[in-house]
Amino acid sequence: MAHKSILVVGGGVSGLTAAVEASEAGSEVYLVEQKSYLGGRVAQMNQYFPKLCPPNCGLEINFKRIKQNPRIKFFTLAEIEKINGVEGDYTVTVKLNPRYVNQNCTACGKCSEVCPAERSNEFNYGMDKTKAAYKAHEFAFPMKYVIDGEACLGAECGKCVAACQYGAIELDMAAKSFDLNVGSIVWSTGWEPYDATKVDYYGFGKHQNVITNVMMERLAASNGPTAGKIVRPSDGKEVKTIAFVQCAGSRDENHLPYCSGVCCMASLKQATYVKAMYPDSKVYMFYIDVRAMGKHEEFYTKVQDDITMIKGKVGEISEDPETKDVIVQVENQLTGEIMKETVDMVVLATGMVPATSNVPDAIAYDEDGFVVSDPQQLGIYGAGCVKKPLDVSSSVKDSTSAALKAIQSTVRR
Amino acid sequence: MDEIKEVSLEMREYIISSGAETLNWCMQCGLCTNLCPYRQVPGELSEVFNIRKMQRQGQLGLEGFDDESVLFACVTCGMCQSNCPRSVEIIKNVRSMRNTIVGAGILPGHLRPVAGSLHANGNPWTGPSEKRADWLEGLNVPAFSEDTEYLLYVCCTSCYDTRSQKIAKSVVKLLQKAGVSFGVLTGEEKCCGETIRKIGDEELFAKLAESNIKLFNGKGVKKIITTSPHCLYTFKQDYPELGGEYEVMHYAELLSSLLKDGKLSLPGELAKKVTFHDPCYLGRHNLVYDAPRELLEAVPGVEFVELDRAKNKSLCCSGGGGRIWAEVPFGERFGELRINDAVKQNADVIVTACPYCITMLDDACAGLEKGDVLKVMEMSEFLCESLEK
Repeated sequence: MAHKSILVVGGGVSGLTAAVEASEAGSEVYLVEQKSYLGGRVAQMNQYFPKLCPPNCGLEINFKRIKQNPRIKFFTLAEIEKINGVEGDYTVTVKLNPRYVNQNCTACGKCSEVCPAERSNEFNYGMDKTKAAYKAHEFAFPMKYVIDGEACLGAECGKCVAACQYGAIELDMAAKSFDLNVGSIVWSTGWEPYDATKVDYYGFGKHQNVITNVMMERLAASNGPTAGKIVRPSDGKEVKTIAFVQCAGSRDENHLPYCSGVCCMASLKQATYVKAMYPDSKVYMFYIDVRAMGKHEEFYTKVQDDITMIKGKVGEISEDPETKDVIVQVENQLTGEIMKETVDMVVLATGMVPATSNVPDAIAYDEDGFVVSDPQQLGIYGAGCVKKPLDVSSSVKDSTSAALKAIQSTVRR
Repeated sequence: MDEIKEVSLEMREYIISSGAETLNWCMQCGLCTNLCPYRQVPGELSEVFNIRKMQRQGQLGLEGFDDESVLFACVTCGMCQSNCPRSVEIIKNVRSMRNTIVGAGILPGHLRPVAGSLHANGNPWTGPSEKRADWLEGLNVPAFSEDTEYLLYVCCTSCYDTRSQKIAKSVVKLLQKAGVSFGVLTGEEKCCGETIRKIGDEELFAKLAESNIKLFNGKGVKKIITTSPHCLYTFKQDYPELGGEYEVMHYAELLSSLLKDGKLSLPGELAKKVTFHDPCYLGRHNLVYDAPRELLEAVPGVEFVELDRAKNKSLCCSGGGGRIWAEVPFGERFGELRINDAVKQNADVIVTACPYCITMLDDACAGLEKGDVLKVMEMSEFLCESLEK
């Protein structure tokens, strides 16, 4: 029998788009998200390029569309265990992990206040901590607290249970699995930043003032670990000289053989954060080639006047053990000059890795992990960065087209 | 900027035909130049030697890559090559560029006696070939035959140099102790040819290799243990295409597996702080990192510390690519950085596993007058001390 509903896996901007577009065309949609909130990596961004506006309004609009739309049912803290079937008739097993907080939660925060346990805050890429009972971030949707089962001290502690006047804490909540029957699947699980410790000559994880581009987004964000002040991790000092190091893993056969496509624009954008906060700062960008495609040329032309662009792939990054300043070794390819620049902080432009390290067999992907459309298997469609490196607006367009393909799969005869 | 020189596509094609097949893969990002060990030292050569630029000159067939001091400066440590984003075989390109000069009979002055001795004596150290086996005296090692499992192939350096002979003797003692069935050649073998090939003399390399292959095959050699990682490299990488296919291993690899099997034990306590200098040809070129560490840590009393630059990031001693014969001013030698690093780690002993590294580190340690706080030892020597204690 043919099912008319669509499953969207991944609740980032791609999944949100596919879910909303398909449902607004009349389809029943299930949206499954692994984290405790919707919005994905975009929720962790400070600003979009090239408009330099925050992502929250776009996300809010999508959340509103979901709230108003009875045809979308979403699950957070959920993952896909199994996919069986063919186009028009899939049975998908979904595992729902415990939030330990039920629908009674009003996000008053009393549980967090009394919670004695702490956990590393992955929303801020480990740059600060939250309590074990925490709110994922300021604009979390659904606006509910969540308890980190690994950090929580358990029922013996139980302080949150006593503090919650709404009876919203359930420390004995268990994982459960259930099946969904759907006609087609949109796979939009997004991306992860490349593990910068693998590019060992750049010293990430060893030198405190070498950070990654995704961390820079959090440092610049007003709801980030420094409340939006861009300062050095080692001593909280203002950043007067900074180096953006491009292709930290991308375009490299030892790491990611492909161009991640967005990092040049991301670094140019982040250069504007630094310049806005510290107009006298010296900003370097070291690159192999600047890839600001299509209409982004204008942004590139504008920003490059304010910063020092140097063509050359950075070699070793070392640290002054006294000052914790970082020293960037590079050759200027236009002049042949071998430079050793000392800067306050380095931002590694780490690339995008498709989030397909642990996917059901039904999902086909290429040697780099990007989801590919299998012409033999209609009914499952990749969308967004899990398919190829994309910026936000391109992900939105790609997901809209994936929604159309998914709808076709539910009505094909 | 440099003055514009004439582009010669014919020269480029000639370089590529000499083996630099990946020359045009280079996108001129410059990572190689910045990871190059020359960036770690001061001096004139550090200022002029730029491996990225050398690739460019090769791509354009520009004259200039043939400046002797630059062309023969590369130590072939492989730091650039193992990290190159385009997997350019940089060392092969260097070899090919050198070959365009060396093949025409022009060799830098300091390398002429090396090539001359290889032609005349089959070794680069002007040692008479009839004295090649002299180091064996009193060791009771059988000649390789069908009855012995392994051929122990000893590097020319350890056959002739009195300091280095100690390495060969120590390796023999360890193998005997572990009950390995092995034999040696008794002077009829020639230099493996690794270094002369890196210097760019393809013809001489082929002559040496073919002679060895004929000898090995004639004697029924199947498995080879080398004392030097350079011989290891060339037997594994260069010999198969010339008809020499063997199972080849560095003695460290064999000893570490014998240790795990319980066939080798290192009972004597050596209460020392020990660090290890990864030879480029054992590490980056052959990916053997764990075996020497396992062996050293198996010695009772050893406290093992890593150098700042270790394993795949190890800093070259500067003895590869023919540089063991180069005159480098004191203060500009890579080996000095290794000695200083070991001293900084408060190590009592810096151990390595290559005869070239031993030569370079010994020189550096003596030059820096650190002999009173740091001892340079080849791994087999260190392990033998434990055996004999």
